Amino acid sequence: MCAQPVTNTKEVKWQKVLYERQPFPDNYVDRRFLEELRKNIHARKYQYWAVVFESSVVIQQLCSVCVFVVIWWYMDEGLLAPHWLFGTGLASSLIGYVLFDLIDGGEGRKKSGQTRWADLKSALVFITFTYGFSPVLKTLTESVSTDTIYAMSVFMLLGHLIFFDYGANAAIVSSTLSLNMAIFASVCLASRLPRSLHAFIMVTFAIQIFALWPMLQKKLKACTPRSYVGVTLLFAFSALGGLLSISAVGAILFALLLMSISCLCPFYLIRLQLFKENIHGPWDEAEIKEDLSRFLS
Amino acid sequence: MVLKVFFPTCCVSAVSGLLVGRWVPEQSSAVVLAVLHFPFIPIQVKQLLAQVRQASQVGVAVLGTWCHCRQEPEESLGRFLEALGAVFPHEPWLRLCRERGGAFWSCEVTRRQAPTAPGAPGEDQVMLIFYDQRQVLLSQLHPPTVLPDRQAGATTASTGGLAAVFDTVARSEVLFRSDRFDEGPVRLSHWQSEGVEASILAELAKRASGPVCLLLASLLSLVSAVSACRVFKLWPLSFLGSKLSTCEQLRHRLEHLTLIFSTQKAENPAQLMRKADTVASVLLDVALGLMLLSWLHGRSRIGHLADALVPVADHVAEELQHLLQWLMGAPAGLKMNRALDQVLGRFFLYHIHLWISYIHLMSPFVEHILWHVGLSACLGLTVALSLLSDIIALLTFHIYCFYVYGARLYCLKIHGLSSLWRLFRGKKWNVLRQRVDSCSYDLDQLFIGTLLFTILLFLLPTTALYYLVFTLLRLLVVTVQGLIHLLVDLINSLPLYSLGLRLCRPYRLAAGVKFRVLQHEAGRPLRLLMQINPLPYSRVVHTYRLPSCGCHPKHSWGALCRKLFFGELIYPWRQRGDKQD
Repeated sequence: MCAQPVTNTKEVKWQKVLYERQPFPDNYVDRRFLEELRKNIHARKYQYWAVVFESSVVIQQLCSVCVFVVIWWYMDEGLLAPHWLFGTGLASSLIGYVLFDLIDGGEGRKKSGQTRWADLKSALVFITFTYGFSPVLKTLTESVSTDTIYAMSVFMLLGHLIFFDYGANAAIVSSTLSLNMAIFASVCLASRLPRSLHAFIMVTFAIQIFALWPMLQKKLKACTPRSYVGVTLLFAFSALGGLLSISAVGAILFALLLMSISCLCPFYLIRLQLFKENIHGPWDEAEIKEDLSRFLS
Repeated sequence: MVLKVFFPTCCVSAVSGLLVGRWVPEQSSAVVLAVLHFPFIPIQVKQLLAQVRQASQVGVAVLGTWCHCRQEPEESLGRFLEALGAVFPHEPWLRLCRERGGAFWSCEVTRRQAPTAPGAPGEDQVMLIFYDQRQVLLSQLHPPTVLPDRQAGATTASTGGLAAVFDTVARSEVLFRSDRFDEGPVRLSHWQSEGVEASILAELAKRASGPVCLLLASLLSLVSAVSACRVFKLWPLSFLGSKLSTCEQLRHRLEHLTLIFSTQKAENPAQLMRKADTVASVLLDVALGLMLLSWLHGRSRIGHLADALVPVADHVAEELQHLLQWLMGAPAGLKMNRALDQVLGRFFLYHIHLWISYIHLMSPFVEHILWHVGLSACLGLTVALSLLSDIIALLTFHIYCFYVYGARLYCLKIHGLSSLWRLFRGKKWNVLRQRVDSCSYDLDQLFIGTLLFTILLFLLPTTALYYLVFTLLRLLVVTVQGLIHLLVDLINSLPLYSLGLRLCRPYRLAAGVKFRVLQHEAGRPLRLLMQINPLPYSRVVHTYRLPSCGCHPKHSWGALCRKLFFGELIYPWRQRGDKQD
């Protein structure tokens, strides 16, 4: 009984439409269905050295955290005089400030409309507030256990590394949260230092290394990639050297981590690209191609 | 069709005559109010009925005849009764008969037009319902507030019918004015026919109440005029007046007295009951107050009390000092910020020091103050209790101060932390859209915000502990004050008169009626006895509760906890803003 209509409709051509009554079951498709199959439309070809270059942002940030912890350790042990750190920090900040304007010839400053007076004001606000609050910071965590403080700082620094804006376009990235976590960690660590001057200088240093240094890096990377690679190498070696003076095992582990991130991970990424098999076809859910952001704003 | 005849029990043994009452066509029921005896002159009967109709606005009419036969019925009487139907035309015409010592009752209904209607049922069924006229007259029917879902329509109909019966009996009081000893053209038989109920004392009180009320009302208006004087509207006095519960209570009592002695007559029974309840409440209050006064002023108890009060206040202050010293150490092993802890502790210790010197300054006068406060008990127990509540509030002023400081500090911290936490995540509160939006901050804003956030976060436990301890103390005081206010409210709002009425005369407050079957025989009318269901006590209290002065907090527990968590101040009295709704 069922065979009768099927034989009749052999010559009727199947159409992929819902608005016409056709003598086929609902789940019927014909042979043309797989003709529209596409593979790896969005897959990109990566160049090994380009990936290595891009990974240097992660290296830089890891090194920043490492340098910060090393400096804090030196201060806590009393091996580093706060005046010396302050002088060095001030000098490097000034150099960085001059470089920041020199690299792009003052174009960035013109575009953002930031005046030198505003910069000075910001710097004054930093210095004044930190100096004013440093006695409070000193006694802030007296009754809290040192281990609690260390654990909190570790979590905050990890959070800083996780939420940092490495240039990826993801929802998790939040440069504000990342910076705030770094400042929180630095305040926690600074409160463990022996005197309020130490705390003041530690927090100032944290601002320099976590807020100002990435801004300069970004500009360096955009304008002079060659010097950026040099700076990254220099920074990484100095961080390794500092860590080596504290703990050899730590330095080796850190070096391995840096190596794996900068060399092994890009290699692995490119290898894994070969196994990529994304299929696309008419069964995909609808995708809005147009950029809708102009309607939303 | 069932025809209901409501017949008063007091007329059961009356001699034969005419049935006087009202016909309610909607319920097809006849409410018999009285029996009119032979002999009478029809014109005079009609005149009397017209007078009653005019006075009571009830359609009283002659409904039929009543025949009470002690022996065998006589033929001539029967015919005579039939003939009366022509003299007093009424539709339908009832002929009620009681035969042979009350064992048999019969009732005939005659309709003149009935045979002409083709579809009408031939014989009407008659239901004879006996009611106690006195109870029905005096009782006040309370219709049920919540009707059951099913049979709701039927219930309303039956309550409406019942209400009509009660209303008819209550309004035709004019009919019951005369007893059988009165010289009059017409003789009636009803509940008061053996003698009108009256008391000499009640009559005298009624006569005297008029001038007394007038005098007292004028005095009260004088007092209210003085209290409404402009001096009391100035800032510190009006503020104090609104916060002291004694002033509230006095104002409340003044309103009560104005209500009692107002020369206007109560318009409806509910107002009358409210007046009576207020009188009972005031009387009980003053009686309790006088008992307290006699107890206090006997055997120099005031002196003992005064001697005990100052050491108690001292002791409380000392305990507080110990508490603060404990807090300044490491209380319960908590990790407090030492510097802030010391600062707060010293600040509060200084406050207690101030307080102790204040108490010692006051101590010589305490006995006099207490003596005068004791005198206020003659105004009523509630006034004395309110004064006690105010004195407690004044004596624990230091605790209140601590609480306010702690709460303000804590509130500041909580709000600061919540907004800085938003800054920490790179968000901000959008006031216009009432939501949290993301926002890009400047570097210096972020830095200072995070710095403050860290500091506030690490200082929070210290502040929170101080806040917690002082809030617990404050809650203790508020609870005591709340209990006193509850007692005052109970005395103020308890409807004592209604409760007494319910206890001694349950029929006065009727919730409904119940029927008991007296006789159920075939061929005879069904006889029922109507009894009044008294109102339950809970509904008495609910219906007649006097409005309280409303100076107790109206927070729910959730709102209270929320307020406590966010460090908002809590008060035993209501906020001014709440009072309006």
